[in-house]
Amino acid sequence: MSTARKSTIWVWILVMAAFLGELLFYTWCRVQSVQIGYEIAEAGDYRKKLISYRNNLAIELASLKSPQRIMEIARRRLDMVMPTAEQTIVMP
Amino acid sequence: MNASSKKYLRLRIVIVSAFLFLFLLTIGARSVYLQIMRREWLASQASSQVVREQVRVGKRGAILDRKGHEMAVSVEATSVAAYPLQISDATAAAPSLADALTLDAESLYRKISTARTFVWVKRQVTPRELDAVKRLNIKGVDFITEYKRVYPNKTLAAQLLGFTGIDGHGLEGLEFHYDRVLIGSRRERLVHKDALGRSIARAGTADAAGMRAEAAGGSIMLTIDHTIQYITETALEQAVAEFNAASGVAIVMDPETGAVLATACVPLFNPNVFGRYPEATWRNRAVTDSFEPGSTMKIFTAAAALSSGCCSPSTIFFCENGSYRIGGNTIHDTHPRGWLSLQQIIKYSSNIGVTKVIETVGAETLHSVIRRFGFGDQTGIDCPAETAGMVAPPSRWTRIDTGAISFGQGIAVSPVQLAAATAAIANGGRLMRPYVVDALIDSRGQVVERARPRLIQQAVPPETAETVKRILKTVITEGGTGVSAALEGYSVAGKTGTAQKIDPDGTYADGRFVASFVGFAPADDPAVVVLVIVDEPRAAHYGGTVAAPAFRRIVHDTLIYLDIPPDQRKTDLRVSLEKGVRG
Repeated sequence: MSTARKSTIWVWILVMAAFLGELLFYTWCRVQSVQIGYEIAEAGDYRKKLISYRNNLAIELASLKSPQRIMEIARRRLDMVMPTAEQTIVMP
Repeated sequence: MNASSKKYLRLRIVIVSAFLFLFLLTIGARSVYLQIMRREWLASQASSQVVREQVRVGKRGAILDRKGHEMAVSVEATSVAAYPLQISDATAAAPSLADALTLDAESLYRKISTARTFVWVKRQVTPRELDAVKRLNIKGVDFITEYKRVYPNKTLAAQLLGFTGIDGHGLEGLEFHYDRVLIGSRRERLVHKDALGRSIARAGTADAAGMRAEAAGGSIMLTIDHTIQYITETALEQAVAEFNAASGVAIVMDPETGAVLATACVPLFNPNVFGRYPEATWRNRAVTDSFEPGSTMKIFTAAAALSSGCCSPSTIFFCENGSYRIGGNTIHDTHPRGWLSLQQIIKYSSNIGVTKVIETVGAETLHSVIRRFGFGDQTGIDCPAETAGMVAPPSRWTRIDTGAISFGQGIAVSPVQLAAATAAIANGGRLMRPYVVDALIDSRGQVVERARPRLIQQAVPPETAETVKRILKTVITEGGTGVSAALEGYSVAGKTGTAQKIDPDGTYADGRFVASFVGFAPADDPAVVVLVIVDEPRAAHYGGTVAAPAFRRIVHDTLIYLDIPPDQRKTDLRVSLEKGVRG
């Protein structure tokens, strides 16, 4: 085999390797893109869950702070009453 | 190999090569056709398999009280939907779905076996139901996130707040009135899904968080204070229960601005499960209903008399010893009285007395002053379905009508009108527009509009209002009809009312009354105007007995809560010398 033919084959091998490498790299990028897409979607879902959980906690807090409950605890459990006018001291 | 064989071989090679070339050419041509000529169609076909259009409605805004406490909020809830065309075996799917969602299997089968592309199976399911349906893993069944309205304080201010329907639109109360502000905008967006139905985030599609923030509805901040609301509802509920009444209404208002601090209607209802309550309990009767006010109207008759210049508080009138005949009708007082001054007429709530007063002043003047206090017109409060009440023109008033209107019969007013008109007496004669929404807030939490107190008109001169205020203070003193409204440490001004109700045949009913009390405190520098109306009390029926104690409880607890210092030193115990004071 002549030297010229050998070098042509090597050139072809290199070109084909480059193409193959590019193909593999492109495929890897696409797979990574889809995978990251899944991860972003999952993170988005998790964020939505956390927001929903936070909202539910806010409602729970609002229920706990409702005047019905506070008055009930103050009057029944702590034996508290509304102060009378005589018990009110106006600070100068 | 001979020459002919070689020739034959070459021919075969050429034929095969030509065939392969044609084959490659066909493939190439087809590729060009598909890639260039049909590119858009193919791309849309591919997209339709991975891209789905999703319609989302933004989160509904919250309703907050004046201190920012949540009174109505939206939370995420999942609804189950189906694409009937994608369900392969509806006969098998229906019973298992119905079992998981506690639905009727037959009607569910009819629903999911139709030719429609989309049907709701069940809206806003519980987490347990959701898990059960997910476990079934039926193809063609989808889960859609929606928002569910929640009222964390349950019955508190329920009639004012109203409620929303399953589609998130307001149906009653402020939810209905401010629906355009509260509702989140409807947006369509593209979502990428793989063959397994998993979401894939892609550049260029709507970011979920961004979309939600943009599409969320605005919030409203009320003038209502949830503690004062609770105080008011509790006191009114007690009064209705104690006197075995049909219903009750109470309003607490800031007389300077017209801001409504509380508005209560009993029986209460829970807007979280409004369907379990009768429709009659949903209405905000403080605004939508009118009633004959009875003797509370004497406040405005006195204002008419004083502003006309015909009378002073000490002008005396003969009260006919309890019975006064006008044509074929006779007006009675509960307790016979002789000569009384205008001040005493109001204090003892003499019907004959105010009739005599208005005969001196004239029907035109009374009508004019009543109208200046806003009766017969809507107040303009920002609540739906406000009634204007009913004030007939004076040309249609007979002599007995004029007398009856002067003590609050033959005229219809709404509770909010009566509270606003009394506030005008408390604040120096200025009739303020009542309002319940203090601010509109956008989805980012910024105040975009704040309500400003609005003067409707000067109802009477400040001096007249001041004189009426002084007269109303005497109602609470010994012998007056409103002694049960007296408070230790605070001066109070007010008026009782007891109105007979009308039967369907147009005559006054025996034993059916509306008991009321309207007043303000501290009398010299009023912080609150409070109106209490108890409808059809059975155990007693006088305003001074039924409504005044509830008024006292509301005013006492509210003034303490608002840190309003007492304006009076310790006073002697006041008692009524009369057992049945009609007023």
